[in-house]
Amino acid sequence: MAEKFNFPVDDPSQDQLTWENVSRAEIPGPQEEDELWRKKLLKLCYLKEEQKRLKLRKEKLQQLQAEQYVPPKEEVPFPVPQAVLVFQGQTKVGKEVRETVISNLQIHYPLPESSALVSFEDPKVAASLLQHQEHFILLEECRLRVPIHPVELPVPASIKVLTWLCSQKVLVVGLPTDRDLSEEQLLDKLEIFFGRPSNGGGEVTTRELLPGAAVLGFADDKVIQNLIQTCCFKVPLGSQEVPLRVFPYVDGKIQEMEISPCPVPNSVLVLNIPDILDGPDLEDTLEIHFQKPSQGGGEVEALTFVAPGKRSLALFTHEST
Amino acid sequence: MVQTNTNLKIEIKKAEMELQRPSSSYLVKKNIPTKEIKFISAESPKDDSQYSDISCSFQVTTQLEYELKKGQALITFEDEEVAQNVIKRGKHLVTFGSEEMKLMAKPVPLKTGLSLQVHSKISKKKIDVAGIPNELPEEQMRDKLALSFSKSQNGGGEVEHVEYSVNTQRAVITFLKNGVADNILKHKKYPLFTNTSCYQVDVSPHMKRNVKKLQVFSGISKRTVLLTGLRNIQDDEESIEEDIFIHFQKGSNGGGDVEVVKCALKKPQIAYFEADLDQGCLTWVQ
Repeated sequence: MAEKFNFPVDDPSQDQLTWENVSRAEIPGPQEEDELWRKKLLKLCYLKEEQKRLKLRKEKLQQLQAEQYVPPKEEVPFPVPQAVLVFQGQTKVGKEVRETVISNLQIHYPLPESSALVSFEDPKVAASLLQHQEHFILLEECRLRVPIHPVELPVPASIKVLTWLCSQKVLVVGLPTDRDLSEEQLLDKLEIFFGRPSNGGGEVTTRELLPGAAVLGFADDKVIQNLIQTCCFKVPLGSQEVPLRVFPYVDGKIQEMEISPCPVPNSVLVLNIPDILDGPDLEDTLEIHFQKPSQGGGEVEALTFVAPGKRSLALFTHEST
Repeated sequence: MVQTNTNLKIEIKKAEMELQRPSSSYLVKKNIPTKEIKFISAESPKDDSQYSDISCSFQVTTQLEYELKKGQALITFEDEEVAQNVIKRGKHLVTFGSEEMKLMAKPVPLKTGLSLQVHSKISKKKIDVAGIPNELPEEQMRDKLALSFSKSQNGGGEVEHVEYSVNTQRAVITFLKNGVADNILKHKKYPLFTNTSCYQVDVSPHMKRNVKKLQVFSGISKRTVLLTGLRNIQDDEESIEEDIFIHFQKGSNGGGDVEVVKCALKKPQIAYFEADLDQGCLTWVQ
């Protein structure tokens, strides 16, 4: 469409769709039709300007969000559910700062093609192999020279979480842990009970199950305030009536997360393995090779070979103490 | 274009709302302990997108603790009822060798904690760049970024796409292949060349992360009791703990089976509390 007009272009690198250019353009052809075109182009110009303005505003807001400073508060000024804890004798040793307990760590790491991830039973074997950056694999007729690397995974070191009171949801606590009902059934029954205005509830917009609790979202703020005030409810869930408590719901997001590389002491990554044998044969050969202490190897716990053109995801988790 | 503008307007409204939240929100910064990691298994899912990120997920729970001040002790009973009765009784006269001390039994005051699931994806193809100087107009700087990051002698590689904004002075560089990002991220800075100078810009991993199943809770201990009133007598902590153990083990003293005793005599100690009857999740008080 732009070719229809002769845009006077002063600077070829500047954006051609500007107010001045459109107004100045010569219109060859019947007046009416082209006036319409000009109007359309002007509208486009306007939209473009607006978009530029909006993008700027969005970026500014994103920047402000990133810099947001909220003074950390220790105590929470609204009712929260209680979790039962116990002292088992563990006390702080020396200078350790144990702020959090981490569990269920799962890291999925993509392995490149033509590589092998070898995990040894003894970390010392891995450590001594890694003293050199290259490794020689002896096969029947030849010797392969391959680079060998330590496995380092990006692991979170610290986390800054911003939390806030969510005025559209509540936390319902005290759900039975025995599995008479499926998750879906449990949520249905909760929605039925709390969806009834006669119970003090209202239209349920969202629902989510947590361990031992559920988060329900409501369309009406007043319903939420009501439910929190009443707090205790006896809800029929399957065969029994279960006492449940309703609390304000706190939602959160990660504001900052620091990642630091953490080595996997038992494993090494062998790269650029040439395609000289078939997949399974090569895998076996590699395993036999790495089992030999004379070759610098040792008891192999697991070996994952990724053939050329293939891909694999390796799963890592915490050593169970 | 109208659609894009409408979407932008919605996003702006959302961001503005989020910024107004601070009055009712609070920020938690926690350190995460490092533990040893090991390989479990390998899989080959069909979904292509899973191979361009390292995904990491875990559960974080605040470690609730209590600072035992001098002259205080913690005692954990096997039976909840015993513990609650000890608290109800309040005053306990306990013999330590030749001395008698009047101890007060109270519930342990614990603070609030947070438990959440974190899911993050760290890209193997993209990196975040910050601190880009405003030396050139946007289009030209974008080209300079593409050029600098493709120089293999500096650790770069073929660049697929550059997302750059003059206003934020940040960019996201997408490389064609996996692994280039790892190379560059070995250092925190990378050289950016313009016609006139070389700038060291900040590079960091490109991460997507979100929080699921966030729960705020206040700790309460039903089986552990706080004892106060221990005077600093000559005995060491171990024998004091033994005397407390023996005393409270007796039903005649209003006690029962004792699991753990810990006291602080000469200096304060920090005691860690864990989830009771833990099955990997916290049990809620009815």
